[in-house]
Amino acid sequence: MLEARGLTKRYKGLLALDRVSFDLHPGEIVGYLGPNGSGKSTTVNIVVGLLEPSAGSVSVGGLNAAEDPVGYKKRIGYVPEEPYLYTHLTASEYLTLVGRLRRIPGRTLEHRISTLLQLLQLQDARYKSMTAFSKGMRQRVLVAAALLHNPDLIVLDEPFSGLDVNAGLLFRALLRLLADEGRMIFFSTHRFDMVEKLCSRVIVLSSGRVAIESRVDAFDKAGPGSLEETFVRVTQQADYQPLARQIFETITQG
Amino acid sequence: MHDQPWRVLTRHFFNAMFDFGFLSDAGAESFKRMLMGAAAVGLGIGFGMVRVYITKYANLSNASIDVYTRAVTADHAFLIGLPMWIVASAVALAGHALFPDETDFRILMKEPLRRTTIFGAKLAALLLFSGLLVLGAQAALLPLFLLTLMNPEGFSAAVPYALAFAVSSLAASAFAGLAIVALHGVIVLCVPRNLTTKVAIVVRSLLIGLLVMSLPLVLRLGGSSGAFSQNAPWLRWTPPTWFEGLERWLLGQGRSGLAFEAVIGLALALAVAVASYAILYRHFDRVMLRPMASHAPRRWRWWAPARETARPIRVAVRNFAWITLRRSVLHQGIVVVLGAAAGGLMLNSFINNDLVTWLRDGTDSHGAMLGSLLWVPFPLMIIVCPAMRLALGVPMDLRANWIFRTTDEGNVRLQAIGAAVQTVMLVGVGLPVALIAPLQWLMFGPYAIIMVAFELVAGWLLVELLMSNYRVIPFTCSYIPGKGFVPQMFVKGVFSFLLFTGLGSSLLRLCLREPFFLPLFLTPMAAAALMLQMRRGRHARLTTPMFEDEMPSEVNPLRLNVD
Repeated sequence: MLEARGLTKRYKGLLALDRVSFDLHPGEIVGYLGPNGSGKSTTVNIVVGLLEPSAGSVSVGGLNAAEDPVGYKKRIGYVPEEPYLYTHLTASEYLTLVGRLRRIPGRTLEHRISTLLQLLQLQDARYKSMTAFSKGMRQRVLVAAALLHNPDLIVLDEPFSGLDVNAGLLFRALLRLLADEGRMIFFSTHRFDMVEKLCSRVIVLSSGRVAIESRVDAFDKAGPGSLEETFVRVTQQADYQPLARQIFETITQG
Repeated sequence: MHDQPWRVLTRHFFNAMFDFGFLSDAGAESFKRMLMGAAAVGLGIGFGMVRVYITKYANLSNASIDVYTRAVTADHAFLIGLPMWIVASAVALAGHALFPDETDFRILMKEPLRRTTIFGAKLAALLLFSGLLVLGAQAALLPLFLLTLMNPEGFSAAVPYALAFAVSSLAASAFAGLAIVALHGVIVLCVPRNLTTKVAIVVRSLLIGLLVMSLPLVLRLGGSSGAFSQNAPWLRWTPPTWFEGLERWLLGQGRSGLAFEAVIGLALALAVAVASYAILYRHFDRVMLRPMASHAPRRWRWWAPARETARPIRVAVRNFAWITLRRSVLHQGIVVVLGAAAGGLMLNSFINNDLVTWLRDGTDSHGAMLGSLLWVPFPLMIIVCPAMRLALGVPMDLRANWIFRTTDEGNVRLQAIGAAVQTVMLVGVGLPVALIAPLQWLMFGPYAIIMVAFELVAGWLLVELLMSNYRVIPFTCSYIPGKGFVPQMFVKGVFSFLLFTGLGSSLLRLCLREPFFLPLFLTPMAAAALMLQMRRGRHARLTTPMFEDEMPSEVNPLRLNVD
């Protein structure tokens, strides 16, 4: 189980995250929603061990990130929002680097890389430098890298950006299967439709605090009780119609 | 008033020439500062040379015409060669921006612009860039040239000299720039699309390396009067002497052989450069979108994941370092440029001690080479090792380092830093020793084994000293250029160089004279290196690796008011 307790993060006096707590159980896919600047990425960075919280703690299966960072990180797979990877390497070279850093034995690693690249339709490009890869191809390499060591917790930050329809459908099916097999999936996104289709539970963050934590099926399909309307209400988003009008007028006036 | 598109584009392309294609904004600023510093040093040397030339030509104006001609021939070869070197270096550095590329194609061709506008703007930017370079280099050396006109026959003889030199020197600089443009043109047109970048990187690094190495040779042209009077065979292989031959021929003083080579060389470079532009213009879309060459995937044995190893992380990071050094212009450039500087020192030492004569006449005829072969491995090591350390410390896509941050643990650190040390050792010590060992064997026979052993241990100690506080996984830490106090670093660098090369070659000489000394020196050196290695291992396990470069620690207050 992933346990986040009282996560707080301050950046030079600015409170980015304010006592955020939540749990994630094996077999669960939790959607993590919030407007830009609400603290989503900060939470993700703390959960994957890239940032240390100013206060609070996070643990996976009883392993605390502060006390046993190595054991903790070994159990996590992470797909970042932007496809940041060493693009001068080929997909195969990158996955080999990641696999060796995660101490996967040689033959197992070779087999997994080869199979994953084939299944993710990257086989033809496996020996090409990733400089020429599209965003979707890079995203697929990151998905392969995150799953390579068979982690207990998979943290996804906007994993569908750049993926084409087929890859998106495949990835959705894969996430469901992983959850059915007992993996925990923490899914940070802006897309309500994905949360509604994929997640069992949703956490909405606003100004660094948890505004809603609820089961997804508790929301209506449409109308004021829907996830989207509730999100707009609790995160105090502006009325977009006047803004859209202003933008239109800016481009049409001399 | 709106700027015309061609003017906007010309400005854009011209600015791109100074972008160098491999530096961040901070790095580019630092690089420009470094270039300005180098120009200031050049200016200082230039003033010194003016004084030398004044004295020299004041004396020559009273000498016979033959003596003057011999002296002026060599000096003009130098004054032609130096601008050629400057122009070739700058055009090689701007190699990525000489032709419209795939990015230009994809971005500009979808805009409402004609192909003529794009190519015209690129060509205008190139002409402006190279024109400014040629004129700047010529103008910088103009005072020296004017002093060489003080001749025994007076002002009337100076005019033809000036005209012949102007034609030859401008032609030489144009040749230097055009030859590099032509080479890039051939790469753009002939190399398969998926290999263009890789080949361009390698060619650029090679060119810059060769140019850095050739600088001492250019500086030696001023002493080549004997070679010109004897018509030495090597004159046919050095482009600056072709154009000096052209000047002599224009003045009616020399045979047409070298002048012919100059004209043919210039015409060929011009023809290939123009043809490349013309072909690219006509077939821009076809060239930019030509299918990638399909080739069988290469699988390096040392990269193959199936190979089980006791230290998988060390192997992974070492391979990561090798691949990055092979594919990144910046990292390769650092090693190549500094390595070439060391190579230049080596070459200069060999030429001073007449390597050619030694190789031709046999192994036991030339004592001067002995000192050179004893000394050369040490400057090579002390320049290439820090160059490698620097190259590994400069980041490669910093945002991608999260993969190392999320897998950080004591063993990863230890093995990753071990991989960095191993890479520095291989390139900074192994390569120079392997390069010089055959020559040492030729001269010293089996004694070369003693030399290699001594050099390897000295190199190991150097690497351990250099990497003793190393906390960086290669290419993953941000880098602040120029954070040290430059004069202090300069003094430290010069002192280290003199100490390592002086002490190293002296001790080695002693070992060759009395092999009894070898274990006496090697044992403490190896013990010190081993201790440093163990200390580094403990240090790596206990401290976290650095991902953010830091400024040197704050000034320590003297705290005089504390009781």
